Amino acid sequence: MAEGASPLEQFAIHRIVDIHIGGIDASLTNSGLAMITAIVLVTLFLTLGMRRHALVPGRWQSMAEMSYEFVANMVRENAGHAGMRYFPFIFTLFMFILFCNLLGLIPYNFTPTSHIIVTFVMAMVVFLGVTVIGFARNGAGFLRLFVPSGVPIFLLPLIVIIEVISYLTRPISLAIRLFANMMAGHTMLKVFATFVVSLGILAGWAPLAFIVALTGLELLIAFLQAYVFAILSCIYLNDALHQPHH
Amino acid sequence: MSESEPPTEGEPAKRLNDLDDRLRRLRERAPEEEEKVVPRGGNSPQSAYGFAFRIGVELVVALAVGGGIGWLLDRWLGTLPLFLLVFFVLGAVAGLLNVFRAAKQMNRDV
Repeated sequence: MAEGASPLEQFAIHRIVDIHIGGIDASLTNSGLAMITAIVLVTLFLTLGMRRHALVPGRWQSMAEMSYEFVANMVRENAGHAGMRYFPFIFTLFMFILFCNLLGLIPYNFTPTSHIIVTFVMAMVVFLGVTVIGFARNGAGFLRLFVPSGVPIFLLPLIVIIEVISYLTRPISLAIRLFANMMAGHTMLKVFATFVVSLGILAGWAPLAFIVALTGLELLIAFLQAYVFAILSCIYLNDALHQPHH
Repeated sequence: MSESEPPTEGEPAKRLNDLDDRLRRLRERAPEEEEKVVPRGGNSPQSAYGFAFRIGVELVVALAVGGGIGWLLDRWLGTLPLFLLVFFVLGAVAGLLNVFRAAKQMNRDV
């Protein structure tokens, strides 16, 4: 900690428990630990919150119910009733990302979502899942997604290529958006934190105040990015469930 | 008043059964109407920032994906600058298309 004052040092991966299975490095890292913590906390938050399942909810239970209803409404509005079959997945995704983001805001904690490989894997699961669901439900008709109606026949090959590229950008933009937001925010916090130290006790208050404001903004972004990730998953799911109509 | 009480016998229980039937009939009818789901992405006011970021990322990523596909095709066919340039342009178009669609979606919400 002493010699490494780089604002990027917070993203370094450390091994905590060395585990090697058949030549594969499956060690528990700080990133893995943070993810496990997020999962455990989400589980505790929801199960303990709903433990009393009172008709008139207390504070904790209403938070759990609110998060459920928030995601349920999001899925219903964006993917229809057919989309509710995939509600458990979207809810898990949303809560996991939200808790990863929020836990990362606690000082000294690691933010798994600031690594592109983590967000990319989640985006790929959404992308492949939606593609599989689309083909399973519509068969080859799913390919009509790439053929918008009302296009002159001589433009069609060009349009199809463009549509395919636009489809392939989905997982990448999904992954980059979350990762870039988390990484940029955390780097900025660290950069301004070093200003506090270098400006000393006289002028250091200004960046310190800024950090407080920035932390508030980061709290909003943590929530917002989980929301955006989940809502885009719903919109993509909608394409797979219902016949596309651009 | 009487609706909130648990249905014990006679009238209320019958009415509840009636309600069940009507609900079931409605639910059976629902799937047909429900085909025209219009996604309302980003409908909350505070997501304007998220929306702005979404558009920016969409543009850049489409360029990268288009260029990437072109470069892979070139490496495969050995025609280096050709497909890279073509697909870079196509990627730009795809990016604009994505932005256009996202903006259209947002317009619907307002």
